[in-house]
Amino acid sequence: MKELFDELLKEDKAFIHIPYGNGLFDLYKSVVVSWIVIGILILLILFLTHGFKVHNISKRQAAVESFVLWIRGVTGGMLGEEGVRYQDFMATVLIFICACNLVGLFGGTPPTMDMTVTVALALMSIILVEAAGLRKKGVGKWFKGFTQPMAVITPMNILELAIRPLSLCMRLFGNILGATVIMELIKFVMPLPIIFPALLSVYFDIFDGAIQAYVFVFLTSLYIKEAVE
Amino acid sequence: MLNVSILSIGCTVFNLLLLFFVAKKFLFGRVDEVLVKRMEEVDEATLEAEEAKQKALATQKEYEDKIASVDVEKEHILSEIKKKGYVEYDRIVSDAKKKGEQILVEAKHNAEVENERAKEVYAAQLTDMVIDAASKIAATKHSSEDDKKLYDKFIIEAGVNNE
Repeated sequence: MKELFDELLKEDKAFIHIPYGNGLFDLYKSVVVSWIVIGILILLILFLTHGFKVHNISKRQAAVESFVLWIRGVTGGMLGEEGVRYQDFMATVLIFICACNLVGLFGGTPPTMDMTVTVALALMSIILVEAAGLRKKGVGKWFKGFTQPMAVITPMNILELAIRPLSLCMRLFGNILGATVIMELIKFVMPLPIIFPALLSVYFDIFDGAIQAYVFVFLTSLYIKEAVE
Repeated sequence: MLNVSILSIGCTVFNLLLLFFVAKKFLFGRVDEVLVKRMEEVDEATLEAEEAKQKALATQKEYEDKIASVDVEKEHILSEIKKKGYVEYDRIVSDAKKKGEQILVEAKHNAEVENERAKEVYAAQLTDMVIDAASKIAATKHSSEDDKKLYDKFIIEAGVNNE
């Protein structure tokens, strides 16, 4: 059991070790896996969207169109009218995190199980949130926004700048890590995974992965909505 | 487990941005292109239909107006024709009257001229007769009896000539 956790949690994450900065510039395995994920996604997009027509559309085009409208509806609904311009980016993030979380289904390690990836995602989220606020309100109003609704809670608002991305990053990382650990435990308890582990895998890998992707995007959208209001 | 690499973070950010630009250009871009084109076509078709409808309505109104104005036109033409007829009638009647008066005047004049001429002829005959009688009287030896006979004969002759 201990070896399992050691193997799972203490393995060397580096894919390429760069002998400078004490591992600060290593290229992690998770990045390589996300490259693969992104490569597959790009190929899928290019394949699915080639040869679009205005009339007499194929089933493939109809499916892609309804998928795009659906996912835009999801993210646009969360962002509200003011933030609707960011719906395409949020949809992309949703697709990316979803695809990353589903890697476990195919026997790989989800990139989102590595904190590096979730830190990067959370950083982008908070930058987007603040940039959206700055763009909408202008510098003066944006600074003033920290004292809203009362001057007393200004320190809290400033703390939020760090807390929000931290919670985003930790939530995603912890959930995916937890799901993977539980799946490993189940596999350990039942060496011949037939039906029960498969059912649990549906929950922990697919459902939880999708939920976490949705939660990440939902919270980021909520912050953007709040920032541009 | 909790260590973090700056290079990996940078790579992930770059990854996500790359995926976003590909998705924006191909997935969302291509779908948008089709949707916009379709919307334009629908708008165009709607506009054309509206135009056709307006045209049809205008034509219908035009014909209705025409049909409504036909009665008025008919009345107008009829009254015009009637007016023209009256004028013509008046003209013809007045012409005929004038002509009749002229004929009458001419006839009167002719009659007067004829009368004058007849008078002149008669006067000339009377003159001739007087001369004749005078010459006869002068040529013959005459008594009072003869004279009487002569006067009677003259009067009878004159009367015969005058009849």
